[in-house]
Amino acid sequence: MLNFEAILEVLARHRVDFVLVGGVAAVLHGVPGTTFDLDIVQSRDPANIDRLLSALRELDAIYRIQPSRRLVPNASHLTSGGHNLLLTKFGPLDVLGTIGHGHAWNELIEHCNSLPLDNGLTIAVLNLPMQITVKEEVAGEKDNIMLPLLRRTLEETNRQS
Amino acid sequence: MAPAPALENGEREYSEDGVDLTLIRWMLTLTPAQRLQVLQNNANSVLRLRARLQPGA
Repeated sequence: MLNFEAILEVLARHRVDFVLVGGVAAVLHGVPGTTFDLDIVQSRDPANIDRLLSALRELDAIYRIQPSRRLVPNASHLTSGGHNLLLTKFGPLDVLGTIGHGHAWNELIEHCNSLPLDNGLTIAVLNLPMQITVKEEVAGEKDNIMLPLLRRTLEETNRQS
Repeated sequence: MAPAPALENGEREYSEDGVDLTLIRWMLTLTPAQRLQVLQNNANSVLRLRARLQPGA
């Protein structure tokens, strides 16, 4: 079964610098959607990559593409701007070097809200305007389906504030 | 069947592009932690249902 909180707790305990993006980020902002994986963009600073590798070891992370081969990510994979589609003991985790048109952690962190969870964690979550920008840039079928939900949630949030 | 109750302040149930605004308003009443719990429960419910499907269904 999925346990997004447990993945976030392990990342936080290893002091990994990341931004939460994708479907879980959208839901945390109030979007009534669903998803089956957790997407993060990691800082690619070498010290952070070391901390991320420790966290991924604790999570038993392997690449989803051929789970039977149990391929594990290494520092080189995580330092690139590519997408690492992993499977952990708590569910799928996508570790994304960049999203949209090359947006990396050091840019995205400027477009985040710090959202508190009730277990004491505070998570940097990509804000709705930037999530919309990224989806518009990518404009795949899945992204186009999500865009109306993101836009109407942003409108409703602004209306209520 | 009784008609749906009228909405206050001219609020609509759906946006022009078909988004259910009542679900958004409900989600916005929850804390981030509660929203995460809703998501996790939804996803796990779907996974449990899928696991119960007969092969080939």
